[in-house]
Amino acid sequence: MSISGLGPHGERAAPPERVALLPQDIAAVHGLRVALVMHTLQSDWARQCLSGMVGTFGDCGMAVIDVVDCGFDAQVQIAALDRLILEAPDAIIALPVGNAVVAQAHARVAAAGIKLVLLDNVPTGLLPGKDYAALVSTDNFGLGKIAAEALADHLPQGAEVGLLGYDADFFATNEREIAFWQCLQLIRPDVTVYQARFATIAQAGAAACDLAARHPELAGMFVVWDTPAIAAETALKAAGWTLPMVTVDLGREAAISLAGAGAIVAIAAQQPFRQGVAVAQTTILALLDRSPPAWVALPGIAVTADNVVESFQTVWRMPAPREVLLCRKLVR
Amino acid sequence: MRKSDPSLTQANAARGKGRPRIVETAGPSLADILNLVRTGRATTRQEIERTSQFSRAVVADRLGTLTELGLVDESESGIATGGRAPRLVRFVAERGRILVATLDQTALGVGIADLSGRLLFEHHEAADLTAPAATVCDRLVTLFRWIVDRHAAGVQLWGISLSVPGVVPGPVPGIADTHFLDHTPPILPSWEGSGFVETLTQRFNVPVWMRSSVETMTMGELFAGAGAGLQTMLFIKVGMRIGAGLVIDGRLYRGAQGATGLIGALPVQGANRTGTLDAMAGSEMIAQEGRAAAMSGSSPVLADIQRRGGEVNAIEVAQAAQMGDAAAIEILSQSGRLIGQVVATLANTLNPQIIVLSGSIAQTNDILLAAVREAVYGASHPSVTRDLRILRSQLGASAGLAGAAMVATEAIFAQLFLRDWVMQGTPVAHPAFVQLVAKINTMPAPTPLPLQPPAI
Repeated sequence: MSISGLGPHGERAAPPERVALLPQDIAAVHGLRVALVMHTLQSDWARQCLSGMVGTFGDCGMAVIDVVDCGFDAQVQIAALDRLILEAPDAIIALPVGNAVVAQAHARVAAAGIKLVLLDNVPTGLLPGKDYAALVSTDNFGLGKIAAEALADHLPQGAEVGLLGYDADFFATNEREIAFWQCLQLIRPDVTVYQARFATIAQAGAAACDLAARHPELAGMFVVWDTPAIAAETALKAAGWTLPMVTVDLGREAAISLAGAGAIVAIAAQQPFRQGVAVAQTTILALLDRSPPAWVALPGIAVTADNVVESFQTVWRMPAPREVLLCRKLVR
Repeated sequence: MRKSDPSLTQANAARGKGRPRIVETAGPSLADILNLVRTGRATTRQEIERTSQFSRAVVADRLGTLTELGLVDESESGIATGGRAPRLVRFVAERGRILVATLDQTALGVGIADLSGRLLFEHHEAADLTAPAATVCDRLVTLFRWIVDRHAAGVQLWGISLSVPGVVPGPVPGIADTHFLDHTPPILPSWEGSGFVETLTQRFNVPVWMRSSVETMTMGELFAGAGAGLQTMLFIKVGMRIGAGLVIDGRLYRGAQGATGLIGALPVQGANRTGTLDAMAGSEMIAQEGRAAAMSGSSPVLADIQRRGGEVNAIEVAQAAQMGDAAAIEILSQSGRLIGQVVATLANTLNPQIIVLSGSIAQTNDILLAAVREAVYGASHPSVTRDLRILRSQLGASAGLAGAAMVATEAIFAQLFLRDWVMQGTPVAHPAFVQLVAKINTMPAPTPLPLQPPAI
């Protein structure tokens, strides 16, 4: 599948194959130290990405000396980065939880001579090659397009659609949001899109209900990732609303909903394990001063009920949950 | 920040009775003082008095006015050097926002900046600029509206600045080069009579500025990239067209017609043929040679891409070169050598402190940069190359957005332009712009947008 988006500075995407490692690369980084600063460790995506990173570093003889769960809190991330700078690892991989508020803390990492590789988000103003070595993300613009194309098939003529976005300045979710409404209106100009935003996952359910109450004719909804989508689905169901939903990330609960138990009709899936491997390889190339590409992008996968089982296996490298298999009548 | 207070205004008016504080004559000194603060040349009242040579009373009076207009802030204290700590005078860059866009042959970038030219948000997506002008304009408007909703709620827009893939006509006699556009220049054939600029002016009620992509990228590199703080820079953009931006004495040099640096039109000689630099070293040639290498099998990486149904474009060739593909390396080296020959001529003429290579092909691999370096160092006078640095841009397409923001801020705060709006507190109230809006409003209404951003 091709990459349809551009990088945070308009870069063309480099495929993950571009950061493949040679035996001599692996030998050269043996014994180096790396720290990981994640936005959260509470999601399936984060755990699987972490697994890809830690496994790859293990294969290459590198030590992961710290894994920080920032809990989506900018101040926690700033404190963690400043603490890690004193620890002086050879590299830090971070997923910035915000934009301007965390920009300087990330800039301090490279200024301290530590290689910084970013996941999914680049605070505005940070430059590749100077403030960070590379960004590794999914093609988030492509994810938004996949979601729009999938939802379009479930909408009646002249439908109203809700877009539940994340109320933070975040490259990945901004790209999904822009791509979703642009693509939907190009392929379904009869559709009207209404949007609302949530600042925390705890608010997602209430935001979805509020949006549905303001626009009672809503015939579908896009939520920018799966955890708030499940929160929205649960809250909408409790309030008596049922409408087809699309989202991003094939988390366990979302997969069960998609398989037939819930309102989710399609998912644009990322490949977190593969992304974890790619970011580890990119970090190793940066440590060897091999000029990694500014943006390494992985394509998204379009998942429907028909391919949810095999997609789950592809994405998570493990069997689909029993609930999914039951819904798909693959077990009794 | 001191807020505008009617009683304060009255008090200032009473204080000014009998003194030379006349609205009509305050404009020039207000503009001078605002620009001293904005550019950081003066940060306290004492520095303003010393640098501007205005009296203490005039400085106090003008700062009072600028504070009321929300353009400067004196709420912070500086470091004491013996007595009481001086009040710092700070330009309020958050007072307004500039919408910026880069329109490239294959990509569209949009963003928003504060009045210091600092980008607050940017987004890039693939686009086809050969589409009808109205389609491109509609897409731009919907993206701008999305940005305004997310990043400028409650803040006034002060301008739009566009970076376009063609020469933007230079100064017209009698009109400053920094003046905003009052019509759509025919940058592309489909733009003739399209009302592109007029539509943006009307929909956002702000003046529109426009420069070529090479000019905006040069400006971006000068203010936010490798050229920051330098006086002489040569900027080379390598794409389908190859162009140069010249910075002399810290300012972008535009030439008589705004057509500086069209080096792609120069004839060069390759291994067995002659052609323009664009044709012999640009991305079309790189892609063409790459496809030939894929077909002949001399490039295993490109042949593999083609076998899998992928398109071999210049970026693929550049990435293959970076991955060590010998045929791709040779294609990029040949392109770099030809570009380097021309750049060496410019370097010997201009004696720059730095040469910055940009464009997605230059940024995707090291081969082109290495070949340009080799050619320039080999063909230049030792005095020229002694301290010369040849770098690859780190800003990427952001250079165009950052530069477009600087084009707008430089124009908004250009002394002559500023004097005519500063008393109103916003360039949107500039008499010439008010006239333009009135004129555009008498024109037929633009057609409704096919794309609408999501409603709240």
